[in-house]
Amino acid sequence: MSRFGDYFAYLGLPRRLDLDMALLEQRFRELSRQYHPDYFYNASQKDRLESLERSSYLNDAYRTLRSPISRIEYLLGLEGLAASKPASGSPKVPPALLQEVFALNEELDEIRELRESGGAAALLRARLTSARKPIEQKRDAHERQLKELSAQWDAAQDRATLEALRDCMLERNYISNLLGTIDREMSAIGG
Amino acid sequence: MSKVVGIDLGTTNSLVAYVKDGVPVIIRDEGNDPLVPSVVSLAEDGTIYVGREAQRRLLTSPGRTVYSVKRFMGRGIDDVRGEASLLPFGVSGESGGVVRIGIGDRQFTPPEISAFILRELKHRAEEHFRKAGEFDFEVDRAVITVPAYFNDAQRTATRDAGRLAGLEVLRIINEPTAASLAYGLDKRNRGTIAVYDLGGGTFDISILKVEDGVFQVLATNGDTHLGGDDIDIDLMSAVLKELAASQDAAHESPVGRNFSSATIQAVRKAVIAAKWDLSEQQATEIRVDAGPGLPDGYRRRITRAEFESLIAPLVERTLEPCRQALADAGLRPSDIDEAVLVGGSTRVPLVRRKVEELFGRPPHSELNPDEVVALGAAVQADILISGRREMLLLDVTPLSLGIETMGGVVSKIILRNSTIPASGREMFTTGVDNQTAVDVHVLQGERELAADCRSLARFKLRGIPPMPAGLPRIEVRFQIDANGILSVSAREQRTEIEQTIEVKPSYGLTEDEVERMLIESFEHAEADFEARLLIEARNEAESVVLATEKSLRRPDFGELAAQELRPGEREAIETALAALKDAMRGDDREAIQEKTHALNHATQHLAEVVMNRTVREALAGKSVDQVR
Repeated sequence: MSRFGDYFAYLGLPRRLDLDMALLEQRFRELSRQYHPDYFYNASQKDRLESLERSSYLNDAYRTLRSPISRIEYLLGLEGLAASKPASGSPKVPPALLQEVFALNEELDEIRELRESGGAAALLRARLTSARKPIEQKRDAHERQLKELSAQWDAAQDRATLEALRDCMLERNYISNLLGTIDREMSAIGG
Repeated sequence: MSKVVGIDLGTTNSLVAYVKDGVPVIIRDEGNDPLVPSVVSLAEDGTIYVGREAQRRLLTSPGRTVYSVKRFMGRGIDDVRGEASLLPFGVSGESGGVVRIGIGDRQFTPPEISAFILRELKHRAEEHFRKAGEFDFEVDRAVITVPAYFNDAQRTATRDAGRLAGLEVLRIINEPTAASLAYGLDKRNRGTIAVYDLGGGTFDISILKVEDGVFQVLATNGDTHLGGDDIDIDLMSAVLKELAASQDAAHESPVGRNFSSATIQAVRKAVIAAKWDLSEQQATEIRVDAGPGLPDGYRRRITRAEFESLIAPLVERTLEPCRQALADAGLRPSDIDEAVLVGGSTRVPLVRRKVEELFGRPPHSELNPDEVVALGAAVQADILISGRREMLLLDVTPLSLGIETMGGVVSKIILRNSTIPASGREMFTTGVDNQTAVDVHVLQGERELAADCRSLARFKLRGIPPMPAGLPRIEVRFQIDANGILSVSAREQRTEIEQTIEVKPSYGLTEDEVERMLIESFEHAEADFEARLLIEARNEAESVVLATEKSLRRPDFGELAAQELRPGEREAIETALAALKDAMRGDDREAIQEKTHALNHATQHLAEVVMNRTVREALAGKSVDQVR
């Protein structure tokens, strides 16, 4: 944690997941005017350094709170529930996704083998597109869930909701990676 | 307090501007020319010429004249090898090091050449302020612009050039953002703006949100090796290929090898003129006069349609960065309220059509696309000095910044399009017991592997207190400042000892090298002074010639001469005029000054006569009351 406090406090915003975006933009502009190095050109060395640090922190805060996903991740971090990155290797499969992941990996392996032995591109693309559908649906479900949980947390601010948010984020990130893998395979087929 | 200026250090032309009574204005020379061609020529006697004078020398001494040096700033020899055959000056350098430009038996780095141009702009501004009666007319502080997509090495090279020119660089700002500042003044806009900046050597697209006087860049993208010069190269190559074919020369690429530098530069001049014509006309002719390598000269008709199909792939290349920038900003083309064109190359009709197609609206270019960047730089300079808080530029870093980790993979620390100033941290430790130094390789780019990114610098962190391997906790802090330039600091957290950092820039000059160049530049000040005197003598000669010829062209000259001039006076004038024009073809400053003096003397009487006539004509038909 920085000597400047957390991002919400720094921007003068309540610690909520549903933020007033117009207010965020306004505060960002106001604080930029207060701290930006352009206005400290003639100031002392000490003041200029302070301005550099404060505006860097402000820009970080703005960027983090502007997007709903990074906002949630940041809040989880603040509350000590960071959806932490694994030290090495790939992340563990979230239990709720085991079935989908298993089915997808089987399908991907088959598609890869067919591609490497010269299978018809159009056919492979079609198979990949239909394999992708359930994964996309899962992602959409996560988006909805995150929205609901966010509203719930704003109302109650309880630990259980936070933990549910963390689990949902872990799954969401995993699904994102899966979609990335599918897209890479699609490029490989596309040729 | 000495004056501050804004400088557009362009690939093709450079400009200097300042804010006068709240309005930015371009500082022009005595001939009212706002532009200083970014061309530098080194004569055999060591005299350095910059601008129009140097441009003339592209044809007379091409091997000693450098143009488009901006394309070499912050780059290595591997980046520019491809176009080397069409360049009249020699380029060399070690792989992974700074490009060296060879003129005669001297070698220059790109920042040194750029410094000559900056010094010329500095002088122009100082002359202007001195003539305006300012007591303190010295100019030693400036805001200098760079393409938004310039990386760290390119920005640092520009700042080094400023230092070498004796300028304190207040800020390096991005060209599209500067343009939007100038544009914002005019329109008092609010909304989302796309700035499409296609200059001589670089292309930038910036998406900005303007509100409450805050100009916030949402995303920026571009190509620092794509511009009008590439259009010229396409045309030149086509012409040279035809010439080679017609001469039956057995040619391998690169096509430039078959022709002398003088011929290539003559072709270049001709295709540029044709390119300009085709912005106004549907067809024109590429005309190269007969010369040593071209006994019959070269003439060829070219239509706008043919020109457009030749450059279509190049224009297409500008569209992908546009789409990427929009995606990064989370916007669709229809979300853009205004599209603005900047840079001379946006005068090409095909470019305008494509921009209009992409954004679904006619783009703005009311402000002169050549001047708007310098005007914006002047506004920024004024903001820094005055401390006025009406306007604020919030720019972004165009490229992700990362460090090389195990296996040659890049770990990103600061993402592209992050608002600057921006900072990031990374923890390091040692691999060996009592290791006292750690190497950090910093790169810029979006790819996963270090080999596919642009090496920025290698930092050696020294002074780590000796400890068992893996114990030190070294926090390395990466700070990108408001110039978009990186600085690094490091601290071992257990002992709280600050590391000393040794920087080895990948495509730039070390601090020692810049210091040495500063010292050397004082030695060459004498030669520069001579060049200045020659230019001034030429300018003065030019104005006397023009005035004389204007008088000689008067419809009533025949009658005037018969009535008012003494016998032999007309012949004396014409002789003196011819003698001066002859002297002007050479470089002998004293001869030019002597002949200027002689022409002045020969036309003194004529000048009085013409003056009297003019007064009489003005007074004719006016009563005494009207005159009073």
